[in-house]
Amino acid sequence: MKRTGFLYDERYLYHDTGSYHPETSERLPAIYKGIEEGGLLEKVVLLKAKRADLKWIETVHSTDYIRRFEEVCLCGNTCLDSTDNQMCTETFDIAFLAVGGILDAARRVMEGELDNVFCAVRPPGHHAEHSQAMGFCYFNNVAICAKYLQIEFGVERVGIIDFDVHHGNATQNTFEHDPTVFYYSIHEHPSFAFPGTGREFEKGVGKGTGFTLNSPVLPGQGDQEYKKLIKKDFIPAFEKFKPQMILVSAGFDGHEDDDMSGIRLTTQWYTWMMEIIMNMAEKFCKGRLISILEGGYCIERLPELARNHIKVLLEEK
Amino acid sequence: MFVSKSMTRKLITTTPETDVLTVGKMMKENQIRHIPVVDEGDILLGMVTDRDVRSAMSSVAHEDFDSKDERKKLSALTVKEIMTRDLVTVSPLHTLQDVLLLFQKHHYGALPVVDDKGVIKGIISIRDLVRAFINVMGIGEPGALLGIVAEDKLGQMKNIVDIITEENISMGSILVARHWEEGKRAVFPYLMTLNKARIKKKLEEAGYELLDPLEWHLDQLPRK
Ligand SMILES: [Zn+2]
Repeated sequence: MKRTGFLYDERYLYHDTGSYHPETSERLPAIYKGIEEGGLLEKVVLLKAKRADLKWIETVHSTDYIRRFEEVCLCGNTCLDSTDNQMCTETFDIAFLAVGGILDAARRVMEGELDNVFCAVRPPGHHAEHSQAMGFCYFNNVAICAKYLQIEFGVERVGIIDFDVHHGNATQNTFEHDPTVFYYSIHEHPSFAFPGTGREFEKGVGKGTGFTLNSPVLPGQGDQEYKKLIKKDFIPAFEKFKPQMILVSAGFDGHEDDDMSGIRLTTQWYTWMMEIIMNMAEKFCKGRLISILEGGYCIERLPELARNHIKVLLEEK
Repeated sequence: MFVSKSMTRKLITTTPETDVLTVGKMMKENQIRHIPVVDEGDILLGMVTDRDVRSAMSSVAHEDFDSKDERKKLSALTVKEIMTRDLVTVSPLHTLQDVLLLFQKHHYGALPVVDDKGVIKGIISIRDLVRAFINVMGIGEPGALLGIVAEDKLGQMKNIVDIITEENISMGSILVARHWEEGKRAVFPYLMTLNKARIKKKLEEAGYELLDPLEWHLDQLPRK
């Protein structure tokens, strides 16, 4: 059995997106409940949030943006850059706690205290651009984590797999020039879904060419097509890249019961996917892996999805 | 949507007396395929394309295989001998729609833009149009497309836009396919939001039929 961490903090619930917003604080208790009901709480190491040092957030976001976010937030404005990004006066601090919790988890993995961690954080991150909040995201958690691993621990090759049903535009943009971070994303085709990026021909820029890979999937497709593309695109790419550390942008919004997309994945697909990623981590990264929550809005399905996710991380069959 | 706003203004031009080898080199270095030919007052006299240059070179090469002689002949050959004089031009006040239809009619890749005195002002190419239409469609910015079937009657568009506006969502563009099924139109708003589920529900409640994405046969519209 693996030593698995589970980052969960009640303070993440204070990021209030108002009524009728899919990215609601109910998502996290649903995840917690699923893990608790599976009898898995005793088997994981429960991690709490920590406030991130500003310098790490500045590795991905502009100082101007961070300042603007803080001001808009403290003024009591309820959204930043778009009405999609609903927030409250606590949001700025909670976004710092999300990043900080993840970096602390990454440190524990790098220092050998844990093998892997599931970070159930809010707000999510993969749409948050260098100087712009977008798609419910304020700070790009996964991108900051990759920078932290590079700078603080000298990790030379970081592999990011993003299976949220939306393309992680901002993660791609952060690393498209960087051959030391491989970004792979599988998502609903951008002509049909937000944010409209992640086409097959987006493969990185300059020195980073060949270190970004996108598998767009047409709406209406499900497990079969996703499995086919993972085998055809993701596995060979990561086998070639040989990451020393794997980060997962874990979004569960491609589930058939999640109304955020036209993709119809089953609960079983997510387990299958995580097993593939675990094997990859075993093969190249001494089992090290950090999974970070992105989307996933079906409150009824989140418990089982989170439970299965943790089961795979624990290697508990 | 005037040509003057979308055309390329930074122009590389040549004169009628310039030799063909020099023009060929200019095209290569600047990665362009069309060079307007002008007089001292920037009055447009003709246009020379990479195809004109290539065919001039190959006709000389066929006549004489000795490369020294070949070069000599080519440097003697001037632009005025190979350029196209009979030109279709557009004015800066033509619209992008005009140009779009012209391109379709004449199979050109680029058109010179001249003012009423015949002075060259710019050049407009298919590339410029592509850029303009990406901008108009809003697809350079994050958003998501929605497909709605509406009856072909007055006020439908207003209703749809009202529902989107009430939800506080900005629109990148709205495309309408006028010929869909009998008596129906398809409306495609490009919404600048990740939160599509709620607006879909609202539209359905208002009685609109949402298109299954796989039924979006925009390419199967009537052809002429
Ligand atoms: Zn998503």
